[in-house]
Amino acid sequence: MKTLMPYFKRYRVDIWVATIAVLLLVFATLWQPRLLQTIMEAIIKNDQATVLREGLLLLVLAVLGIIGGIVNTIYSARVALGVATDLRADLYAKVQSLAYADVEKFAPSNLVVRMTNDINQVQQIVMAGFQQITRIPLLFVGALILAVMTMPEQWWIIVVMMVVIILVTLVAVRRMTTYFAQTQEDIEQVNTLARENLMGIRVVKSFVQEKNEIKKFSNASDELTNVTAKIGYWFAVLMPAFFLIANVAMGVSVYIVGQNITTHPSYLAAITSFISYLMQILFAVINGGFLMTFASRAVISIGRINEVMTTTPSMTYADGPVEQIPGDIQFDHVTFTYPGDDQPTLKDVTLTIPAGSMLGIVGATGSGKTTLAQLIARLYDPDEGRVLIGGVDVRELPEKTLRKTVAYVLQRSTLFSGTIAENLRQVKPDAEAQHMAWAADIAQAAEFIDQLPQTYDAPVEERSQNFSGGQKQRLSITRGVIANPEILILDDATSALDARSEKLVQEALDRELKTTTTIVIAEKIASIIRADQIIVLDDGQIVGHGTHHDLLKTSTVYQMIYQTQKAREEGLND
Amino acid sequence: MTDLRNAGKYYWHYLKRYWFGFLMSIILIVIATWCIVMAPTYLGRAIEDLTQYLQQWTNQAMRAKATLQPFNQTLVTYILLYIVEAIALFVASLILARVTAYSTGTMRVGLFRKLQRMRVQYFDTHRDGDILARFTSDLDNIFNAMNQALLEILLAVAQFVGLLIVMFNQNVTMAWVTMASTPITLILAAWVMHKASVAVNQQQDDIGQLNGYINEQVTGQKVLITNGLQQDSVKGFQKYNAKVRQSALTGQIWSGILNPLMQGMSLLNTAIVIFFGSWFALNGNLSTGAALALVVVFVNYAQQYYQPIMSLTSLYSMIQLAITGARRVDEVQQQPDEVNPADGRALTAIEDELKIDDVHFSYLPGKEILHGVSIQVKRGEMVALVGPTGSGKTTVMNLLNRFYDVDSGAITFDGVNIQDFELSALRQHVGIVLQDPQLFSGTIADNIRYGEPTATMDRVIDAAKQANIHDFIESLPDGYQTQVSDEQSVFSAGQKQLMSIARTILTNPQLLILDEATSNVDTVTEAKIQAAMDNVIQGRTSFVIAHRLKTILNADKIVVLKEGRIIEQGSHPELLAEDGFYAELYHNQMVFD
Repeated sequence: MKTLMPYFKRYRVDIWVATIAVLLLVFATLWQPRLLQTIMEAIIKNDQATVLREGLLLLVLAVLGIIGGIVNTIYSARVALGVATDLRADLYAKVQSLAYADVEKFAPSNLVVRMTNDINQVQQIVMAGFQQITRIPLLFVGALILAVMTMPEQWWIIVVMMVVIILVTLVAVRRMTTYFAQTQEDIEQVNTLARENLMGIRVVKSFVQEKNEIKKFSNASDELTNVTAKIGYWFAVLMPAFFLIANVAMGVSVYIVGQNITTHPSYLAAITSFISYLMQILFAVINGGFLMTFASRAVISIGRINEVMTTTPSMTYADGPVEQIPGDIQFDHVTFTYPGDDQPTLKDVTLTIPAGSMLGIVGATGSGKTTLAQLIARLYDPDEGRVLIGGVDVRELPEKTLRKTVAYVLQRSTLFSGTIAENLRQVKPDAEAQHMAWAADIAQAAEFIDQLPQTYDAPVEERSQNFSGGQKQRLSITRGVIANPEILILDDATSALDARSEKLVQEALDRELKTTTTIVIAEKIASIIRADQIIVLDDGQIVGHGTHHDLLKTSTVYQMIYQTQKAREEGLND
Repeated sequence: MTDLRNAGKYYWHYLKRYWFGFLMSIILIVIATWCIVMAPTYLGRAIEDLTQYLQQWTNQAMRAKATLQPFNQTLVTYILLYIVEAIALFVASLILARVTAYSTGTMRVGLFRKLQRMRVQYFDTHRDGDILARFTSDLDNIFNAMNQALLEILLAVAQFVGLLIVMFNQNVTMAWVTMASTPITLILAAWVMHKASVAVNQQQDDIGQLNGYINEQVTGQKVLITNGLQQDSVKGFQKYNAKVRQSALTGQIWSGILNPLMQGMSLLNTAIVIFFGSWFALNGNLSTGAALALVVVFVNYAQQYYQPIMSLTSLYSMIQLAITGARRVDEVQQQPDEVNPADGRALTAIEDELKIDDVHFSYLPGKEILHGVSIQVKRGEMVALVGPTGSGKTTVMNLLNRFYDVDSGAITFDGVNIQDFELSALRQHVGIVLQDPQLFSGTIADNIRYGEPTATMDRVIDAAKQANIHDFIESLPDGYQTQVSDEQSVFSAGQKQLMSIARTILTNPQLLILDEATSNVDTVTEAKIQAAMDNVIQGRTSFVIAHRLKTILNADKIVVLKEGRIIEQGSHPELLAEDGFYAELYHNQMVFD
């Protein structure tokens, strides 16, 4: 609630209008049986004037009800949409202000769910809130008061009716809760099987396992079917039971009226309105129950949204103007442990990379190659030691300066939907055709871009699925180099390129980006063989350092990697 | 309209077997409805009885004769009617709940069955998420609609018809008065519903786009941060968000307005009935008691009259979703099955040779991918396919176990066209190891014996040993019983690849197709995969799609593909001597200095 308060305040007027409208609606709904009663009495007394007057009043009431309902819907929607969109906007801005470590902590897919489904839950409950939440208690209390006013002696019937309804509900809910939990599990199981089957359809077919897959799936599906049927049976009990209880209550009250009619002759005309009030109490109770389950889900969603909103970004940047800084990098006794890990991923790494030089990083999976590169781009901060660019600790660089200086091309290349040009302009907003052509030439992307009918204005689809793995990587590299950065990090960014293209990319980088400091992380020795210096990482430590030729002599790890990549060929040459 | 017809056919197909259940529930619902409609007349009669009693009682002369007996009797009938109604409704709901659960269960399994029979082409041309949505949201929509709508529709129709009958039985004039406002209400409702459906469609489109944007941006967060694009991202977001605000507002309003509108119309109608009824009571030729009873009864009817219409309109969007759902599921059901020859030949072994003879192939009509490929392989030989991306290497693999069929030309085993073999026999003898290994949930042992679920543990272990993965599996706390789940896999890509090799080794295929993994495997694991591949290739006819040349240096034959044509063919030394495309590829990739 506290999370939503500031948002409600922005829509104060709409809230007032919605509330007044709902009061109007409640008034109309509650007054109607009362009015009917008066009319009945008038008919008995043959009082035509009253019938006409009260009848007209009923018409007015109906129109008021419609107006109240429509106005309430419009203004409830305005509040709900206003709160939801504002909240989503703030949530999105919040997510964008978080450090990468924070995003990882939540997991990106989880954040997406919070911004879509959870916000939707909030919107639904706010909408329902202004339509129902004020209405149901009002209707309930109003109907209760009016029912008691109509026949004061019969208050106990209402109480008994409600107690029985609540008891029945409790019994049913207890049984159904276990079934609901079971359903969730079964649904997940069915979905997992379907998803695995889809993703592995080639495996299924090539091993001729269609029959077994159907058997597995049928079993899971049957379990789900049985549980849903059980839930269905309980619902089948519930609704008729509610109405039976209410109807019996009505019958009993009419009977009592009948037995005492001589003392309260006026109750004759009151029977219908009393019955209407009983029905309204019943509906209020049922709807209230539905709303409660609905609200409990929304509370969970609000909690999840709040968790993001109250997260303080774990990384801040220094203020200052955008500056041109030199591209030399220093690691000064850097140690880094990922949040939640016991063991540091980088241990006491010290390294100097002169401006304009090339550094190659090799090592097994998990040796810390990517982590080292990520510290330069300040995706994380070291726990101990410092990373310096141009002699300045990266933590003291303004964000814009850092981002302008360092270009990071990822192993898994991500392009955004739009056009190729739009993707490139994200990094260099003033990029002209010749800039793009220059960058694409370096990345060996020009050859396929030029063949596209719309060249640089060709669309990039969602997940860039209209490009092959190699093309995506080349486009990523194009984006990486277009702003002519001081520092370029290629994190296994050429893995999907064929050998010839990779070589051409490297040659172009050497030729066109002479002053750029280049850091290349690779599995293949061939990718880093020409580097000015190569470091070999093993378990977060530098275990070898030098040029290719130095390392062949000094580093056993490097030799081993080289041998596995070279072995076959030598075997063949023998 | 075709949507509606197809949906009708679809539901008919799955629901016709429950005809008896439907018949029973319809009868029960008719009974229940009869009770619901009759009950108010008894209430009216009870009031009439009571009025009479009161009149007699007030009159001193008649007081002795006054009795509550008729009133009590009428009331007992009134309560009995509701008890019968509750029981009938309960049994009908029970039957329908059962029908709903079991028929959607059958639909779910039916869809899954169909997927197992379909061609690989469908899976290649449709996104997994989209197919999966048919299992989740579409079948869900169908279930929800049946769960809620089935009973309500039957009830509403029965109630409406019953109400009409009773009303006309009671008093024709009053019945017409009660119905008078119906056309206007229906037109109004149809107009609002039309507006709502247009607005909601627009809203769903915009929400879809917004969600798509959020998803893309946040999953690419690393790129956003490293390029300093967060503020731009927020700016882009605002556009989508503003659009959703507008269209969702319209959608919510139009779909929210229907209910108060219908409720208001129902109240208006009640007022009309009261006006006319009281005039009728006072000016007609009925006794006051009877007139009063008539008004009470028809006020009651007027309030009930719009209920069936209201519940039908409130179900409208749900029914709409169920129709769309049925269409989408049916779309899959209409896809062509894989072609299995009528009486296919059995396949036991490849005795002599495998021949790919002048094969032309296209995924899409008019866009040929393979232009006359011919490869001849002797039993036990290893053939390596090399070539740049898009050259057609993977396509050749797709044809060998008939994931796709050739356009022209033929693939033959010992002179027999593979299309003449029993499809399952063919695939049992053609083993594949995919680039992107796919494991299934279950234990490691289950995964290794995936192709032969009855295989003994000894054979599983033996296969794992040959695949170089036995030691790793043994090092796990649960060994071969370790649970594999694809969601949060603890296994690296390399380990998965080794398990998938073990899986193939266990089935001992005659022909083996290996699609080599490209990247993301460190060199040590890669060496293991290499050795495992060597083990599995040993003595078997095999095709290897190679991305790294060192795999294939000792192939019996290397086939170089480029743009769907074979440009070079021969052994490694032969091709080097030729000094063509392969030689260049080899020098670029393998020679370090």
